Amino acid sequence: MTHMLLPLFVVIPLGAAFLNSLLGKRIKGFSDILSAVATCALACISIYSIFIIKDAGLIVYKVGGWIPPIGIVMVMDGLTVFMAVTVNLVAFLISVYSISYMEKYTEKWLFYCLFLLMVAGLNGVIISGDLFNLYVFLEIAAIASYALVAFGTEHEELEAAFKYAVMGSVASSFILLGIVFLYSVTSTLNMADMSLEIAKGGSPRIIMLVSVFFLMGFGLKSALVPFHAWLPDAHPSAPAPISAMLSGVLIKSLGVYAIIRIFFSVFGATPQILNTLMLLGALSMMVGVCLALGQWDLKRLLAYHSISQIGYVVLGIGLATPLGILGGLFHLFNHSVFKSLLFLNSGSVEYATGTRDLQKMGNLKEKMPVTSATSMVASMSIAGIPPFNGFWSKLIIIVACVQAQHFAYAVWAVIASLLTLASFMKVQRYGFFGELRGRLSGVQESPFFMKLSMILLAVICLAGGILLLPGVYGSFLEPARDVILAGKDYAKMVFMSVR
Amino acid sequence: MKLLLQPILTSLLAGIVILLIPKRFRRVTESFSFLASLYLLAASVRIFLGSPVNAGYLYVDGLSRFIVLGIGFFGVIATLYSLRFMAAYKEYRSYYAYIIWTIGFSILAAVSNNILILMVAWGFLGFTLYMLINAGGPNAAGTSKKAFIIIGGSDSLMILGFALVWFITGDLNLSSIKIVVDNSMSSWAFLLVAVGAFAKAGVMPFHTWVPDTAKDAPIPVTAFLPASLDKLLGIYLLARLVLNVFILNDATYQVLMIIGAVTIVAAVMMALVQHDFKKLLGYHAVSQVGYMVLGIGTGNPVGIAGGLFHMLNHAIYKCCLFLSGGNVEFKTKTSDLDSLGGLAKFMPITFGTTLIASFAISGLPPLNGFFSKWMIYQGLVEKSKSGGVLWIFCLVAAMFGSALTLASFIKLIHAIFLGKTKDEPRTTNHERRNEVSFSMWLPPAILAGLCVIFGVFAYIIPLKYFIIPALPEGGLDLIGTWPSLKATVFLIAGLGIGLLIYLMGNLKGIRETSSYIGGEEIDDDMRLSGTEFYRAIEEIPFIKRLYTKANNGAFDLYEQGKRFVFFFIDIFRYLHNGVLSSYLVWCLLGMMILFFSFIR
Repeated sequence: MTHMLLPLFVVIPLGAAFLNSLLGKRIKGFSDILSAVATCALACISIYSIFIIKDAGLIVYKVGGWIPPIGIVMVMDGLTVFMAVTVNLVAFLISVYSISYMEKYTEKWLFYCLFLLMVAGLNGVIISGDLFNLYVFLEIAAIASYALVAFGTEHEELEAAFKYAVMGSVASSFILLGIVFLYSVTSTLNMADMSLEIAKGGSPRIIMLVSVFFLMGFGLKSALVPFHAWLPDAHPSAPAPISAMLSGVLIKSLGVYAIIRIFFSVFGATPQILNTLMLLGALSMMVGVCLALGQWDLKRLLAYHSISQIGYVVLGIGLATPLGILGGLFHLFNHSVFKSLLFLNSGSVEYATGTRDLQKMGNLKEKMPVTSATSMVASMSIAGIPPFNGFWSKLIIIVACVQAQHFAYAVWAVIASLLTLASFMKVQRYGFFGELRGRLSGVQESPFFMKLSMILLAVICLAGGILLLPGVYGSFLEPARDVILAGKDYAKMVFMSVR
Repeated sequence: MKLLLQPILTSLLAGIVILLIPKRFRRVTESFSFLASLYLLAASVRIFLGSPVNAGYLYVDGLSRFIVLGIGFFGVIATLYSLRFMAAYKEYRSYYAYIIWTIGFSILAAVSNNILILMVAWGFLGFTLYMLINAGGPNAAGTSKKAFIIIGGSDSLMILGFALVWFITGDLNLSSIKIVVDNSMSSWAFLLVAVGAFAKAGVMPFHTWVPDTAKDAPIPVTAFLPASLDKLLGIYLLARLVLNVFILNDATYQVLMIIGAVTIVAAVMMALVQHDFKKLLGYHAVSQVGYMVLGIGTGNPVGIAGGLFHMLNHAIYKCCLFLSGGNVEFKTKTSDLDSLGGLAKFMPITFGTTLIASFAISGLPPLNGFFSKWMIYQGLVEKSKSGGVLWIFCLVAAMFGSALTLASFIKLIHAIFLGKTKDEPRTTNHERRNEVSFSMWLPPAILAGLCVIFGVFAYIIPLKYFIIPALPEGGLDLIGTWPSLKATVFLIAGLGIGLLIYLMGNLKGIRETSSYIGGEEIDDDMRLSGTEFYRAIEEIPFIKRLYTKANNGAFDLYEQGKRFVFFFIDIFRYLHNGVLSSYLVWCLLGMMILFFSFIR
């Protein structure tokens, strides 16, 4: 019966979004509670599925009872659960945060509708076992995010959303084109079946062509340099919870997860793909952090760091050694947590002071102790200072680079880490320490729900290292890593569990 | 194992408890912190007295044993001093929590055998240092940022170094790793790990955070971290690497010696021209590390023992100097040498402690600083047996540095305690210019006492119990013995006889002359604040250019790195022009490159 859980990942947020659009406008507070409850349920289910997957390995849900490759399937394995926990945990905390934060916008229920749609799309991408469905869910999430970026409907927001929408659609078109080509070669859309068809050989050049399309398309979704340019505009313009969603989970679920699933599980990672991934990762790492260092707009600075940190994730996974993949995945999770937290902090600062310009802040730690303390935790995490979670994942990635004898990448990663530290020192020095500007003397700490979710995220940052402890490691990170390591065995496992 | 783990866990818990005590119970928090530091001292004494333990992840041997004792001792000193000095500080809870955590994690760093544990403790110490510098208020924000970028950045280099160590040996235990440095990879591994030690200890070119921290951080923090604890840890790690982990080749030793010698001279030259006594002491804290690195860089037992002994001595007298300076600042609310003067009358104890510590740092016999420098010189002479001429230059640099140290402390003593007060004391009034309270003069007095004891009874106490057990078997063979006890007796006798002669009435023959003013020519009626001393050195053409460059940050790795990085940042920013079509062009270009590489 456990496989009945799978559709819930899509059904709950979709249903909640639907209910919200019916009743949200009429009943005050309804959408707050509904959204929080729905995302909380999702988070609970995803954490519960950790234990199911630990025993079962892989579960398939056959939509309408049709067996693959005829019918559509949803597949849950270690990697899916890992991503689902990341997405839904962060989504829940962000939803709690929005209760207070979104007060300053009108039409809050609309926000929640779009938010829940986005969550449905993100979960759909993760859970889908079918390439075309993956594309559909990707578009749901992407279109919801275009609208959410424009939610403030000011000049700046609209411009950013327009850029984002154009670039996002270009990427989506290439992804769709790639899927079409694949379908023409393999005559199937089921990923497991497709994997078997590709393994038979035949048209390798088309696979190459499709690889490039996917690298570009999903690379744009995950903001890898040189496909990153939409991100620094889109992330700062969105309301803070949405920035947190975009940076925290959207670019990973739509981008990195899809890359992993397609290139590792369906195509089988070739050295050429891996080298390209590592190169793109290394490039993003450095370009992102350099641009961040020169920024004074707090949210834009954070957005550039997302590019840089995704670079770490992709570099780690591109190494394709057990240690490298582990480091990449762990960093993905950690980044979701601390980057969401940082965006929530920035939102909280903006909420209180009305500015995102670091030069106009100063000594906020006196006025906003919770925001300041949690942002310190998050900054230390992203900068890789022990014992915070970012330290462990960066350490693993650097060690994995050395182990795989990619010394240049190891040095590169260390330099990027140093610059990351430098730029967050800048955030702390100008934002939270330093002299208090007279204008800000009346600033107050944020409301309860905002504080609550920031504190919870900070606790996860502090305790993140626990995931590496022997007992915990085997149930969360290891199954996800094994899925990537197993590569094309994915198809075999899917068909075995169907039988 | 339990013995080692207990103090660390206790400090962790104590820090959390301190944070949880309600804010209105200030006294409770302070007493609790002091008790916690006392407990940690007791625990470290227990570790010191216990036998060497090797418990897998943690271990204690002769070297880490006395480091742990030092950490516990300076922890108590810093906490005791803070009770009064930080009495007006608002966020005292986090301050004491970070102090207690610093003690605990320093102990952890000193006793860790596993590289991972060492890195975690080491990195966390950087963070506590950052937070403690921030206790200096808004002005310290820039300094703390700089300090943490240097420390944290070098920590990540250290991580890379340790990753190489692991790659070479596949082992994570310091006690069982032995790497022969004979190829480029092992040299890099050593140098990268050493960078972590260098930055913590403040060796050039990673030193620039030390003078800045000295200037902006609260005095107890400076006295506790950059002056004593960070030296202990940094030099501990360096000694550990040289003694146990790596077997260095000649070239690497030479690199260490050059770094040491350059650090001694360059930093002391900077110290000579400072106008702020905290910054002056900060530069000396850099300069003295040069001796330690130089001593360890000789690679022979005498030199290494000298380096370690100098580390211990330095921690004692530099801590004493900073705390004494803190007393002055506490009373006069300034650290500017120009506006101080004539305080010897009002603050006799502080004057005494400063004087002793200044003599010690300048290497005047029979104090401790002399003894360790003497050992380092012997190490250099010993090095001459293996040929080469480098040792001569290093010896000259060390002696020259020692002389300049004395010169700059003459300036400091004159400017603060002797000379005349500035005509209109802006920030001081006469009622307030008296000695500080008990809890503030006691710590420097203890430290000054130790300076004397460690110098006079060098063989009997410090060498026997601390230094010789820290070295690998084989012991210590001093060529030039310095019978410290007898020498002291002779010195005192000499002074006594001199005094007798003076008193006996040969008074007519006494020549009266003007007081020493650093060799400068100044009119008689001018007030001599001491800052004008050695002005002539700054005016020498070549040196003048160097000073100008140094003041512009030309030798500051941090500033230069910033310039270098911002060059690229400007290029990237130029490319991000915000035009959608150019962004789309990048995407297409990127895709085309991918096509070329995939489908050829």
